[in-house]
Amino acid sequence: MSSSSSSSSSPPCPKKMITLKSSDGETFEIEEIAALQSKTLENMIDENCASTPIPLPNVKGKILAKVVEFCTKHAEAGADAETLRAWDAEFVGVEHAIVFDYILAANFLEIPTLLDLACESVAEMIKGKTPDEIRKFFNINNAFSPEEEEDVRRQNQWAFE
Amino acid sequence: MHRRLHQPHLPHSDSPAAPSSSSSDDAAAKRGKKRGSYNCGRCGLPKKGHSCHAGSSPSPAPDSSSSASAAAASTPVSAAAPAAAASSASAASASAVALAPSSLASASRRPPQPPPPLLPRHPISHLRRALSFDDLDVRADEEEEDFDEVEPDLDERDRDFVDGDADAGGLPARCLWEVLRRLPPAELLAVARVCKGWRETSRRVWRAAEDLKLRVPSRAQLCFVGSVLNKCPELVRLSLRMESDVDATMLACIAFSCPNLESVEISTSSNAVNRITGDELGRFVADKRCLTCLKMEGCSNLGGLVLSSSSLSTLWLSDLNSLSKMVFNCPNLREISLEFSRNGNDCTDLIAMVDGLGRSCPILQNIHIASVRLSHAVVLALTASNLRGLRMLSLVLGSEITDASVAAIASSFSDLELLDLSGSSISDSGIGMICNVFPETLSRLLLALCPNISSSGIQFATAQLPLLELMDCGMTVCDSNNESLISDEAINHGMEKRPNSSLHLIHQKLIIKHSKLKKLSLWGCSGLDALYLNCPELNDLNLNACKNLLPDRLLIQCPSLENVYALGCQELLIEVIQNQVNNDSFPVENHLPFKRLADGSKRVRVPHFLCQQQFDVDKKQRSRRRPCNVLAE
Repeated sequence: MSSSSSSSSSPPCPKKMITLKSSDGETFEIEEIAALQSKTLENMIDENCASTPIPLPNVKGKILAKVVEFCTKHAEAGADAETLRAWDAEFVGVEHAIVFDYILAANFLEIPTLLDLACESVAEMIKGKTPDEIRKFFNINNAFSPEEEEDVRRQNQWAFE
Repeated sequence: MHRRLHQPHLPHSDSPAAPSSSSSDDAAAKRGKKRGSYNCGRCGLPKKGHSCHAGSSPSPAPDSSSSASAAAASTPVSAAAPAAAASSASAASASAVALAPSSLASASRRPPQPPPPLLPRHPISHLRRALSFDDLDVRADEEEEDFDEVEPDLDERDRDFVDGDADAGGLPARCLWEVLRRLPPAELLAVARVCKGWRETSRRVWRAAEDLKLRVPSRAQLCFVGSVLNKCPELVRLSLRMESDVDATMLACIAFSCPNLESVEISTSSNAVNRITGDELGRFVADKRCLTCLKMEGCSNLGGLVLSSSSLSTLWLSDLNSLSKMVFNCPNLREISLEFSRNGNDCTDLIAMVDGLGRSCPILQNIHIASVRLSHAVVLALTASNLRGLRMLSLVLGSEITDASVAAIASSFSDLELLDLSGSSISDSGIGMICNVFPETLSRLLLALCPNISSSGIQFATAQLPLLELMDCGMTVCDSNNESLISDEAINHGMEKRPNSSLHLIHQKLIIKHSKLKKLSLWGCSGLDALYLNCPELNDLNLNACKNLLPDRLLIQCPSLENVYALGCQELLIEVIQNQVNNDSFPVENHLPFKRLADGSKRVRVPHFLCQQQFDVDKKQRSRRRPCNVLAE
């Protein structure tokens, strides 16, 4: 099991699987090669802590399943850039609450590609909306007092309207 | 078809990988602690020269938007610069080898115009935290408060903030930061109004900004730029696209607001006049101790220039005109690009300038000078210097550069990777000299608008230079009867067709077989009527205005071809090109022996294995890359 300790040079032959355990107890298997996209997991693999299921208390099962899917897809050899891009677009074409979860998971697991993808997609959701619309969309409480709001508005007047 | 005298795109040998830590420490000391300590919100360390790895992704920020805007911002002076060319050029410039993307990419532009020089385009990759203001609309009538005056202490805010989930809309600060930093500046300012948490995070994104591209609209006041610059004190790279006049007060504003600035780029759109004088620029450069890169357009009011800087390594100035003196006391200068105006009244003493350049900038690697006053004497002054490190030499528009100049270059600089003598009078023997001396290093050869070159010279070059990746022979093999290719402006600028033995320039053919060639430009070669290309690596082929190229004397066997520019070619030719580059049944060279019979006909002797051979070729073709674009619009 721990014969290949250096993760970056692990041979591609028998697919070494890692088990991940979500916050709600679900387990998922992921190929070691795919798991290497997560720096957190890579560190664990390096330190040989990957033989037992790795508990991820910050990530729900539903999301972890998708994350595993993402990493597996991106670890595939020979995927051409255009198809991957299209796949990515579909991956984040879900409601924003889920994309937020992707961001949180990618942040926790340190998966730069997923973080990038999800953040860009949220940024796209934000673009073009007025502050009010943003608040409604993301369900944010407006924590500004009227004076503060006026203050901020004045400061940035030249940026919008 | 329009074609700019391309500029060799001079990539930074390494983009100023400036170690900002030492210079920014100085800066920190200078600035004192007046503005509140800028500690990284995530790990608490001081922000100066700090790149936080506590959860931040180092991936380049809005790449598509920034690179598109980067292309727009850094694209050249000329008023006729369309976005299409810029974006294709920027895509081309992404590859390290792409040298003169502008020449080939600019093929799609329309009417022939005299080559107004393009600013050499540099690859703007790795736009870390880049903000781009391209579409920002400015209200000049509003008073802007100094944003930073009202800001509370950062650390306290951070503490409150990190835990606040619900207020921030479900994202903790770190993640929100990642999202907001991918917004363009106008949006970033707008989201400050959403809630306290978002305002705070957007402030932090501003403060972390290292790159800023700003389009300054004509009704903007200086305070607009000032207030924006105030938001990003860590700014390292600044690019301004001025749509109104710019003068030294802008420089002062920049100098004041951005203590860590390493790279400044000021471009001007058509109406804007750059009023900065040489003294003012000299002072700016001398005062900014960490400035490594300066690029400025529209420098017609410099008058005279003395630049002294020990940090400056890249300098691009364009639209220079009649400088009384040009002195560069920049011992670390590696790349210089000077484009002089071509309205005929430039009287800068190039010889003295080049002489001085050679003496005070010993480690120069890339030189680009565009001026109609370039002459053999200037080349001699350059070759007399001891610039052992010279790798890229581009001396364009100098019709008085001759084969003797090539001899001088060949004997002084042995390791050139790029040589651009477009617009010169060199002939095939000059090419011979080039091939003699530089076959082991030369990968880019640009000889556009050299009327004394013939197709045999071009062929010789491609045969003798094994490392060649880019070859530009635009407007060389020209049908001299055809005046329409050169517009009036070109003639006014002294580029009139020189008398030469025109007969041999008609009906020329070109056969090029090269294993590494990636980009080939034959735009405007109206004297070509036959072309055979066998270049497995060729990506870009420019045949714009090759109007005499015959469809049945064209053979393109270049499986990697991605773009063919065929504006102004015969319709039939365009069809043939399309067939040849996209057809599955690849034209196979006819190796079959034939016998001429007594009645004059030819009988082909078909070897018995013919069918199998065809099949193999077909199979190979089917697994080819994506289809090639033939651009003829």
